[in-house]
Amino acid sequence: MSGPIGAALVPLAVLAALAAAALVLLEHDERPTRFETLLPLAPLAVLGGLLVFSPRASAGVGVLTPALVVALLARWRRDALQTECALKLLWTSGVAVAISWAGVQLLALATATPVTGERWTVLALGLGSRLLWSDALALALVAGVVLLGTAPFHFWVADLFHGARAWVAPMAVATLQAAGLVWLARETAGIAAFEDGHRFASDALSIAAGTSLVAGALTLLWQKRPERRVGTLASLQGALALTWFASGSLGEEPASLAPFLGTWSAHAVLALSGAGLLARHLPVTARPSDPPPVLFRRHPVAGVSGLYALASLAGVPGTPGAFLWLEAGREAAAANHGWLVLGVAIAWLAATGVAVQLAREAFGVAVRTPPPASAVPVRLRAALGVSGAGLLALVAARVVLRG
Amino acid sequence: MARAPLGDVRVLGALLCAGGFALAWAPRLWQSALGLECVATAFWVWARHSERPGEQLPRWAWLRRPASALWLAAACSIALELGGSRSSALSSVSNPFGTLRWLQSVGLLWAALELLAALPLVRSFADLPGPLDLARPWIPSALPAAGFAVLWRHADAWTSSPVMREIAIALLVVTAWLGSLRAFSRRPWEPTLRWLIVTDCAIAALLVALRLVHPLASLLLWLAAWGGKAFLLASELSGRGSRRGPLLSRTWRISSLVTSTALAWPALLTFALAPGGGARWTHFVATAVPVAIAASVTTRRLVEVPERRQVMRPQSAVSLTHVTAIVLLALAPLALGIAWWGGFEASLQAVAIGVVPTTLGVLLGRPGPEMPGLRRARETARGLYRFFVDREQWLVALLWRTLRGLSAPLRDLHAGDAQEYLLFLIGVAVFALLLPVLQ
Repeated sequence: MSGPIGAALVPLAVLAALAAAALVLLEHDERPTRFETLLPLAPLAVLGGLLVFSPRASAGVGVLTPALVVALLARWRRDALQTECALKLLWTSGVAVAISWAGVQLLALATATPVTGERWTVLALGLGSRLLWSDALALALVAGVVLLGTAPFHFWVADLFHGARAWVAPMAVATLQAAGLVWLARETAGIAAFEDGHRFASDALSIAAGTSLVAGALTLLWQKRPERRVGTLASLQGALALTWFASGSLGEEPASLAPFLGTWSAHAVLALSGAGLLARHLPVTARPSDPPPVLFRRHPVAGVSGLYALASLAGVPGTPGAFLWLEAGREAAAANHGWLVLGVAIAWLAATGVAVQLAREAFGVAVRTPPPASAVPVRLRAALGVSGAGLLALVAARVVLRG
Repeated sequence: MARAPLGDVRVLGALLCAGGFALAWAPRLWQSALGLECVATAFWVWARHSERPGEQLPRWAWLRRPASALWLAAACSIALELGGSRSSALSSVSNPFGTLRWLQSVGLLWAALELLAALPLVRSFADLPGPLDLARPWIPSALPAAGFAVLWRHADAWTSSPVMREIAIALLVVTAWLGSLRAFSRRPWEPTLRWLIVTDCAIAALLVALRLVHPLASLLLWLAAWGGKAFLLASELSGRGSRRGPLLSRTWRISSLVTSTALAWPALLTFALAPGGGARWTHFVATAVPVAIAASVTTRRLVEVPERRQVMRPQSAVSLTHVTAIVLLALAPLALGIAWWGGFEASLQAVAIGVVPTTLGVLLGRPGPEMPGLRRARETARGLYRFFVDREQWLVALLWRTLRGLSAPLRDLHAGDAQEYLLFLIGVAVFALLLPVLQ
């Protein structure tokens, strides 16, 4: 999708995701002042927009994003699952950012300059110790990889979809992952000037991307809970972004990320909203002979809308997500990263396989008895519809732009 | 049968299955993969609306596996195209594109061989009726045909590797054996026909693997053999029309024997008399025995059924059933003619060698009173089949349990509670370990 328009889709996608979140919140939350609870999502959305439109945003944004998500999760301190999510995220992102901060400081120490662009020029002159800069560079990248939620740091994403409220998780995950990608871009900006460092960072990130794709695929096959599966699909989205970045955009100015980041974020926030909500309406342990859940017995159109979001995360052809998978694979192939292409293929195979399995479980066997009396609330169905319509709009926008 | 939102599910499934089967012949791998996915979906649609979905759904769930394997092959093919690699060096595993080519042929072979019942995972699907109520016994006969379609259409992608070809040849010979043993041991005619189809498709795939004849010739030989058996199976569902009357039953018997013999003949000939030391007598014997068993079964079992109707309906002396048998019979010499035109020549002695297994089978299986020892032979065939299939399934289960045992610690890491901090620490440790490697 062409750059400016791809990025312009983000506000629309965020608005649609916010509308879906509001609908879910109105249905589920028992507080009298429901919109007060929704308010913290607004700064999160603004932060996400800032990351997408201005990838030059300071490193502080990368720190502020997890802090805001943790604060948002901690609002319901009596909710054990959500509090556990907040604690895990605090621990994981806190340690990761601390490690990376140490790496950045080591780099500054080794090059005697705190300015990222200048560091590579100094190192290119051969003035730094290889052991020092390579260790420091690797450490500086840790926070980006962790925030992207790529395996083996993918557990926090699945935890968030499993434990956090349905309207919090999609926006939080998409914003954190965008922050991770921007972190990587900031810390490697201009590294092409230092050939050894570029090669080192490219190898490290390619290995991380390949590992995360294969480990994510294996995790997906082992998991049973639909929410956790959606979480792992989200972590695979992070792995795709990492693949794209490591293969073609390493060392470029962060501003050049905007087109991809825009398309990626718009898709992520919509697909995660739909798939995350759908997962709550799917059976945890379904046998082949089980009847379909209520959503698919009474409201198959809303169910199909949710399945479209799930299919988009998995990259099923005909969905906007398929273009992202293809783009990541194309970048890896163009960079001659054969193993990375293989990783994308394996992950895609596992993801589509799981999406088909979940769809089959959702439809269950044909039932001849009348559907149950209790219906799925209209607001939840509307939220599924909003995310599905948003994803269709993304496909339409792409077709129009290509046309 | 319930009505689905898109209309009668039988029609929906039939459309998917027919479309999928047509796509399986398409030139691009992704199109073939889409075709297999459509076939798998058709079986799922039929199964979930069948009388016993709890039985039918798990029975046909494996059909997604060949589709997935072919998707993997298609993904590798697209990656190779994107990478612009022109290298055809399959053996250079150190080259990432060599690995992709290797993986592409593995995925392709996996998909096709599993549909041909040539992998130890689901050998026995031909024993079981399909999920569509109207055509239960016929439906599974389409699966080996889809397997052959994939192998034949994408032959260039896998036959260029000698290792892949040898693996495929070994698996196909074993499948021909098992198919003929099972056809011989089953009493009802319908499953016997399905197993004969498996045997014929395995031998047809053998022709492709050996690259003996022109692709059009192998396609026509397969079409004649498979088409005949598929038509016989379909006619069993509509009053056993192809076995009514002495002329019709004899015509179909001759047609089936000739088409199956013509199909196996080039392979037998090559195994027996290939020039330049290429003859492989073990392979000749291994292929000749199932051919002889299949000929014996066809001769003995494809017999006239007694007419029970008192008043016959008026009908033309030459029906569609007659014409089909004759057309299929004519396809076999036509295909061999194309093969000869393409350079496949044989001496009179070779022709005789190729016909020996069928002749032996016909002599042993000629209709008449039951031969002494036939029942015992049938029980032995059943025992041999069960022994082999049980052992390979035990091996597969052992492998699966070992894998599960080895991966148990990894699963425990993912319990979803606080111990996942360990995973984080392991991740950081892996990152740290990578540093010296990269340096």
